[in-house]
Amino acid sequence: MLIKQISIFIPNRKGTLARLTSKLRENGIDIRAISVFDTTEFGILRLVVDDAEKTLDMLKSEGFVAKVSDVIAVEPEDKPGSLDEIFHILADNDINIEYIYSYVMRRHELPYIVLKTSDMERAVGVLKDNGIKVIE
Amino acid sequence: MIWSENETLDREQMRAVQLERLQDTVKRVYEKVPFYRSALKEKGVEPGDIKTLEDIRLLPMTVKQDFRDNYPFGLFAVGKDELVRFHASSGTTGKPTVVGYTRNDLNTWAECVGRLVTMAGVTYKDVAQISFGYGLFTGALGLQQGLERVGASVIPMSSGNTKKQIMIMKDFGTTALISTPSYALHIAEVVREMGMDPKKDLSLKWGVFGGEGSTEAMRKELQDAWGIFATENYGMSELIGPGVSGECQALCGMHINEDHFIPEIIDPKTGQVLGEGEAGELVITTVTKEALPILRYRTKDITSLHYEKCACGRTTVRMSKIQGRSDDMMVLGGVNVFPSQIEEVLLNTPGIGPHYQIKVFKKGYLDKIEVVVELVDASVLDSYTQLEALTRDIKARLRTVLGIDSKITLVEPRTLERFEGKAKRVIDLR
Repeated sequence: MLIKQISIFIPNRKGTLARLTSKLRENGIDIRAISVFDTTEFGILRLVVDDAEKTLDMLKSEGFVAKVSDVIAVEPEDKPGSLDEIFHILADNDINIEYIYSYVMRRHELPYIVLKTSDMERAVGVLKDNGIKVIE
Repeated sequence: MIWSENETLDREQMRAVQLERLQDTVKRVYEKVPFYRSALKEKGVEPGDIKTLEDIRLLPMTVKQDFRDNYPFGLFAVGKDELVRFHASSGTTGKPTVVGYTRNDLNTWAECVGRLVTMAGVTYKDVAQISFGYGLFTGALGLQQGLERVGASVIPMSSGNTKKQIMIMKDFGTTALISTPSYALHIAEVVREMGMDPKKDLSLKWGVFGGEGSTEAMRKELQDAWGIFATENYGMSELIGPGVSGECQALCGMHINEDHFIPEIIDPKTGQVLGEGEAGELVITTVTKEALPILRYRTKDITSLHYEKCACGRTTVRMSKIQGRSDDMMVLGGVNVFPSQIEEVLLNTPGIGPHYQIKVFKKGYLDKIEVVVELVDASVLDSYTQLEALTRDIKARLRTVLGIDSKITLVEPRTLERFEGKAKRVIDLR
């Protein structure tokens, strides 16, 4: 019901992302989702990979500051208003969304939506209760 | 104009005045300051051993750490009843360096500063704007007393709020600006941004600068920007505040008020006293201070002494512009900052590593400091809010100790240079 995401500290310097991805590549780690917002000084890169704990150990040994946290991945229906429905469910239940990004899995037609909320357990509960498909 | 006849004594007369005052000072600290009494005893020196001026070399030296070890009043030679004023400078470990003044000390101080501002060209006809920060620091109030002594009309403006500075400067007809040289350059820049010409639209004649060292290039820039005659002066709170020495119109070094402050130049490594004209660390003994007489204070400032007669008519010894420091102290916008102060703050801040780098640079004419630290705590990566809160926390802690704002840059662990020998953590790009 909750999936593992890795957050990595990324100073805003040329080559930092390339150094990270080459380490992932060397270790045969499959990136499923990646997200980073533009900031002036530093960024936090969010990563969903096939084996979060193994990746975390590798990153730490390579000197990255990284941590694993739980996020929700949902698969919205392919119709107008489906995201609106998800956000309303959370809002009506007084759950705040901290950030959100999406990713596409091969052989799936629709993108998954990754959500970090103020109350993860309850968010999963209310989404499921309202018929939203949460990725296990 | 020369303010005091003591500035034109011939060498023998000056030496006689100095010896008498030195003997009195040594006697007083021996009797009244346990710290000096034991330091003198340790060296096997009695007050009666000071028979010539050269015997000053028998006396123990005083360092900044001694102020810290005796915080707050341990070095004072009088009781609190006799004090009329306290001042303090920023401390290296949170505790400031405390100094105190008797009524006579304030009088001596005003007299010393009065001489310096007279040398700089200021008279009773001038309107003097003091743009040093007021408060515990000695700079602003020290200059104020001296300027009032010579009869100038003082505007106790304090630092910052540059546009208001300029408005007052124009409306009050300021003729003398008292500030750090870099702040004076910054004000000139803002004057031009406001669509005025500092030379034509304002009436400044004199720039009396201190709080930080300056170069000849900076003097030229100041004179060109403002159309002023620019001089600098020197002092430090441990000795009295501003008032130790200053430049005259001949611009050939800073005349030391040596009937109050006896200078020596030493090799900072060996402590050996150096000769006339040789560059080394300035060591000063105060010989008229009542509340806080200081024997052979190691200023850590590198300079040299010159005794030949000056074109201005004064006979007092001149010290050259400060050529550097024998320790790692930095001066940022007139505020003294030691890397150890920054280190102490960083080591006590959770979430970051023990390695750091300090970058000092100029933005326009203002000094800026950037502190680069390694992030080690991954728990703040949940949100940007937490990461930003960490940088704000470091910034606020540094502000508490240094009194100035710094830019905080977080980098990944193990990216800052490691040092095996003496660490070079400060990059001064000014």
